[in-house]
Formats: sequence, C-alpha cells, structure tokens
Amino acid sequence: MLPLATRGRAPSLTKSASFAFSALALLTLATLVLIFLVQSLPVWRQEGLGYITGTKWFYRANIFGALPMIYGTIVVAFIALLLAAPIGIGAAVFTSEFLPQRMRLAVKITIELLAGVPSVVYGLLGILFLRNWIYDLFARFEPLSGDTLLTAGVLLGVMILPTVMTLADDALRGVPADQRRAARSLGLNATETVLGVALPQAKRGLIAALLLGLGRALGETIAVFLVVGRQDNNLPENIFSVHAWLEAGQTLSTKLGGSETNIAYGGSLHWAAMVGLALILMAMVLAVTMAGAWQRRTNDAASL
Amino acid sequence: MKIFASVFAFLVIASFAQADVLKINGSTTVNLPAAEGAEILRAEKKMDIQVDTQGGSSGGISALGDGQVQVGMSSKPVSDDDRAKYPNVKFNPVHIGEDAVAMIVSKDVWDRGVKALTKQQIQDLYESKIKNWNEVGGPDERVVFFNKEPGRGTWEVFAHWAYGDPKKAPQVSLPEVGGNEETRNKVGSTRGAISQLSSSWADGKKVFALGIKTESGEVLQPTPDNIATHKYPMSRPLFLITNGEPQGEAKVFVDFMLSPQGQELVKKHGYLALDQLKTTAP
Repeated sequence: MLPLATRGRAPSLTKSASFAFSALALLTLATLVLIFLVQSLPVWRQEGLGYITGTKWFYRANIFGALPMIYGTIVVAFIALLLAAPIGIGAAVFTSEFLPQRMRLAVKITIELLAGVPSVVYGLLGILFLRNWIYDLFARFEPLSGDTLLTAGVLLGVMILPTVMTLADDALRGVPADQRRAARSLGLNATETVLGVALPQAKRGLIAALLLGLGRALGETIAVFLVVGRQDNNLPENIFSVHAWLEAGQTLSTKLGGSETNIAYGGSLHWAAMVGLALILMAMVLAVTMAGAWQRRTNDAASL
Repeated sequence: MKIFASVFAFLVIASFAQADVLKINGSTTVNLPAAEGAEILRAEKKMDIQVDTQGGSSGGISALGDGQVQVGMSSKPVSDDDRAKYPNVKFNPVHIGEDAVAMIVSKDVWDRGVKALTKQQIQDLYESKIKNWNEVGGPDERVVFFNKEPGRGTWEVFAHWAYGDPKKAPQVSLPEVGGNEETRNKVGSTRGAISQLSSSWADGKKVFALGIKTESGEVLQPTPDNIATHKYPMSRPLFLITNGEPQGEAKVFVDFMLSPQGQELVKKHGYLALDQLKTTAP
C-alpha cells in the first residue's frame, strides 16, 4: 500500500518506533515488579515464607498470612474454569465446525461483545440474582448466606466464557481444512472428525484459550468483590473439600480492592503486606498468561 | 513526529481541562445529599463535578490527602492517624449534618422477636460468641454477621461505641460488606442476618433498625430526637473535608451544602440538618 519511494526509510523508523514502544511496555512491567518487590520487602523480612504459608491475617496485631487468600483465588478461578471450559469449547466446536462462515462471525462477534461488558455490571447482576439463586439452590447444604466462593466462581465463569470461546474457536479454525476433508473422505462422520481430528490437532490452542481465560479470572476484582463474602482467614481444614465452596472467602484481588488498602497506606508493615499480595497475584497472573501465550505460539508454529 | 507533537499537545490541553473538574470522593452515606447537590450545581451553574464513593470515608480522606480530589466526604472525624499520614495536608472538616448508625437485622429476625439488644449482646454477636438467635430471644437460626469493612465511617462509629476505640476492637473474621446499598441488600436477602448501617437506610421493609437497650433497661431508638440530643449512642457527624479553607469551585460546593437548599437535601435523605441539632456544648 505504501508508495515505493518511502520503502527505504519507513521500515527503519517503524522498527525503531515499535522497538521503543515494546521496550517501554517491558520497562513498565519491570518497574512495577521492582516497586512491588521493594515496597513489600518489610513483610518478607518479618514473616519470611510464612507470609505465603501463614493462615492468619490480623493486621492490627501485625500478623500477615496470605494462604487463605491464595486458596480463595485458586478455588474461585478453578470453579470458573470448570464451568467455562466445557461450555466455551463446546460452543467453539459448534461455531467453527458446524456454522457457515457468515453465521460463525455473527455469533462470534455477539459473544465477544459480552467480553466488553464492564465487570461491575456482572457484579450487580450477581448481587441481584446469582447470590439468591445459589442461596436457595444449595439450601440443603446450609450455606450461611449467598456470598460464597461458588457464587464468585460461577459469576467469573460467565465472565471468562467469551474469552475462552473465541480463542478456542480461533484454535479450531487453525486446523487446516484439508485435514477435515481427508478425515471425511476416509469415511469418518462429522462427530468423529471433530473428536478425532479437529480437537486433538487444536489441543495446544485450546489449552492456551483456557489458560488465558484463567489469567483473566485470577485478576478480576469488582464482580468477585460483590459476591465472594470477603471473609478473612476462612481456610478449610481439607483444602479439597467441596463443601467449603459454599462458604464465604477472600481472594487476593478482593482484599486489595477493599478499604483496608486505605488503612494500610503510608509505609507501614501493613502496607508492605498489602503490596506483597499484589506481588503474589501478579506472579500468578504472569505465570498463567505466559504459559498460555507459549502454548498458543507453539500451536501456531505446528500448524504452519 | 507531527503525530507525537499533536498527541502531546492534546495531553497537555486535556490535563489543563481536567483541572476545572471538581472531584469529590468518600462515604456512601454523605454521597446521597452531596451527589444531589452536585446534580443541582451542574444544572444551574454548569459546574463540572465528579462524585465517587471509592473506599468509603477513609477512601475520601486518603484521596484528599493524595490530592486526587478537592473535597472528601466522611461520616467519621479525621483521626490523628490520618493527620500523621499526610503531614502536609490541612484537613478542614465542615460539618454538614448528623446521622446515626443502627444495628439492622433481616425480617425473619425482627418478626420473630428481636427488637432491641444490649451492648454486651452486640459485642458477643460481633465476636461470634453468640452463634444462634435463640440465645437472645429470637428464632432458632444461625447468626450471619455482615461486618462493615474497617475503614468505613459506619464501622468506626460502631467500634467506637462498642469498644471505646476502634483500635481496641477485637479482630474478627466475618464476611464483610462495603457500601450502604450492598449492606442493605445482603442483610435483606439473608436469613438471620445482622449488620451495621446508617439508620436512615433502614427502610423497615427489608431491614429493621434495632433499639439499644441500656443497663437501666431503657430502649433507645435511632429517632431524630434521640440523634439530635445524642441520647442514641451511635450518632455521628457528617463532614465535607477540604485541604485548608475551601476555595474556588470547592467553596461554591461546600457553601451550597450549608445553604438552606443544601440542608434540605441533608434532611431529605433522612439525616439531621444542622439547625435540628440541639447543640449542647461538649
């Protein structure tokens, strides 16, 4: 598209500008991690690894243990994934394998629109409907209220569904059409083609879709904030207990979103502990997102 | 480079334009009359005002301390700790009305006999020593205590009354609630629920304000009279806070809230206006 005359200079400017911008992005991330590390130093010094494995958080007694919040974060994200994975991948199979191209785009765009709904809207819907629904539905298990880890997980599942679905759809579309034609010509029916050819070949892309969805779930704050109950120190004795899902809990992000951050502000140990939570959360999100991006990249390379 | 220059110019202009916006943040309790006052000033004086309720009262105080807003809203006085945190800020609280914190319960608790509690009972509920409502004459139902987040004005007033000083309040691990709307909604929709809430938000339909039973057996209700005379123990002042004397747009806003029209708004939302207070010198 560019006039030929500009070809000599344009790439070098483009190259240096894009390099500068990506360097800026990386620098921002590095600075952030550095600031978090430095500011959280006092709490690591006092609590050591006990900061991560400690089960009690009483800020006025200067006791800081983040484990119940790490537990809450993982459980909530796990429930979200449990819900979003089958539905998201199922929907992606339908759009990519069975819908004609134009319909596929229409459905895909509609679902992607859901990803643009502000999370506070999801949170309010959660307060209005989901809380009461879970409270009544699980009444026989006697949850104390509708604010539970399960409520937050289900709400998050709905929120990450568009991400999972649209990335899974991309992954499935990445499987060359020839492969499907070959399968069909060998006598496999549509179901067998999907299960035996498309899904296995798109495996890495599908895993990437789930991981990127998970990354989003880990960091989400406001919607979870409104329905998780924000109860500190509620770590069940058996961390694999499903019944504990019906109790209120706290996640790393909801702790940071609460007004305790305002109390902590001002260079104290308490502040260091809050920043430490941000650091743990960031490490978790980074790890998951990078794993997702890596899976996605290797998938692209394989399908070339 | 032209693009960079114009983007830069735009940012500079935008940041100057931002300076004209009057930003207000803080307590959801004070927010009700303040947001309506802002609405009127926007319409009548074409002022550009943003009202937010991030983090409640302490959110308002720290936003003012950080210079993010020109006016903070608070339903608790500025503490010495706050002043120590921001030594360069001259917190100037302007008293605009009075409110009370009530202990509110859900309908099932209220209908089945719990109408008033003593301070001791409320402490025991807060510390989870009382776990069932039948221990205080209510239904056989588990107690669900939704604690207002520490840092919220409501919680500070509660802790001040129940334990003498918020710092002496025992640390508990209860489910927490934030804004008033959230509190009312969650208590109203949960069986056996109790929480602390601005008494004017207790609507008497979904959530009910309990009386406080004194040692002599008298039951004090958060009525306007009892709040005005401070007979009801958990009454509290509502503040707009500025850094030094209010100036410019902030002064217009504060003056408006103190004017008869602004004070009407305070009354309209169920709080006591300044002229309703029977000020007995402390």
